[in-house]
Amino acid sequence: MSTETNGFENTLLQLGLGEGWKWSNGSWWLTPADALDVRATASKMFQLGARFLCITATECADKEIRLDYQWDYEGQLLSFVVVTASGKIATIADISPAADWVERETHEYFAVEFIGRKTTLPLMTRAGDPIGINLHKEEAK
Amino acid sequence: MSYRIPIGPYHPALEEPYKLELICDGETVTDAIMHIGFNFRGIEYLAERRNYLQGITLVERVCGICSNVHSLSFCQAVEQLNGATPPERALYIRVILGELERLHSHFLWSGIAAKLIGFKTIFMACFTMREKVMDALSAISGNRVNYGMNRIGGVSRDIDDVSVVKNILDEMEREITRTIIPIFLKDKTVQSRCKGVGILSKEDALAMGAVGPLARASGVAQDIRKSAPYAAYDRFEFNVPVETAGDVSARLVVHALEMIESCKIIRQALTTLPEGPIQATVSSAGKFKVPAGTAISRAEAPRGEVLYQITSNGTDIPERVRVRTPTFMNMATVRFTVIGQELADSPLIQASCDPCYSCTDR
Repeated sequence: MSTETNGFENTLLQLGLGEGWKWSNGSWWLTPADALDVRATASKMFQLGARFLCITATECADKEIRLDYQWDYEGQLLSFVVVTASGKIATIADISPAADWVERETHEYFAVEFIGRKTTLPLMTRAGDPIGINLHKEEAK
Repeated sequence: MSYRIPIGPYHPALEEPYKLELICDGETVTDAIMHIGFNFRGIEYLAERRNYLQGITLVERVCGICSNVHSLSFCQAVEQLNGATPPERALYIRVILGELERLHSHFLWSGIAAKLIGFKTIFMACFTMREKVMDALSAISGNRVNYGMNRIGGVSRDIDDVSVVKNILDEMEREITRTIIPIFLKDKTVQSRCKGVGILSKEDALAMGAVGPLARASGVAQDIRKSAPYAAYDRFEFNVPVETAGDVSARLVVHALEMIESCKIIRQALTTLPEGPIQATVSSAGKFKVPAGTAISRAEAPRGEVLYQITSNGTDIPERVRVRTPTFMNMATVRFTVIGQELADSPLIQASCDPCYSCTDR
């Protein structure tokens, strides 16, 4: 860990982002003892002025999807992980509109249903195309 | 009368293939719907089927303009996982390459913007300068587009003759300050086409996560080179130009001023280029087998922040490679910039976001 990041976990605690932040390979990762409320965490990030960056979806062995959310707060990269339940997770696009496109892309490639979205218009695919058509699944066929 | 105009995916009004449906009331745009994905090549998936060395070559093909920043971000992420620390000289060379890439990308964008404005003399001036930058890149790397310079733990080629770059800096700065900036700032044709056109407010830029010159032209002072410095950026003095108007004119000014700053950075890097090796000592096993874990790397591409997330399972092939490009964030703002604008201004407004759909679609 670089000297610049030493002690930043205390800042995150003071900002109300909770305990359990650990630095690893370029990012602070939130690993709380209890399951993470994605909307509550995203709301806190947004209220603090953190900038939404990305969601990275990865298929787990049990077919659920691991979603890594990334934010930037004053140059520090903040990440937290949630796992879908039966392929579903709450949307944060109403909290941070920047998440709209990446949620739509994740829906199309990994068939994740983001609960609470008013609409999920096709982004990378076209109307009528099947969802969950990532190339890993195509290769497995 | 309200009507819908489908534009694209292949259309003279678009710089790159995407589809835009403009909903108009007379000549005024009232809404816009965008479809992307026409350049999808499955690069993330392909990177998860190749070893780390092959991955460098692959991700350099994400974009035909900012190719270097993709291989840089990829290598930086792998370096975090395997602990390969590039030597100081390699970090400086990465900065020089990064800024030369920014220069040729910004000259390209400025030229295209000038053409769309109807000022073809400036288009020619910009592309003349861009050729000189690409000649310098070719002299350093042997290539004009995909440089193959980044390696895990350093760079693949040294800069033996710094005069190749130094010689063009004075000429570029002179051309930018004497020709391009005055015309972008004062010319009546440019002002009438760009002032107050395609405004993206600071609030919308922040909410939509806009990055790069687009965000900085809307008053968002965000640049990864300053806020989370990588390579050797923390060794150099440079400014991050920010404008507050948020219109096409502000984007022109930010791009032009950033070119001056790039020249400043390159000059400092060439003057203080340290002696020494350009590659960290990494064992063959270290290059191919990366310890298990997840690493995230960011870099400031010409169009804004690029993010790479790489997850390793300890084998020679990454388990997950995620690429988030600047245009993926920026193009969602087009809807905000075209609503309420004249239909005839929409090509310029879209182009002023500096879109790259090779990057966006991956």
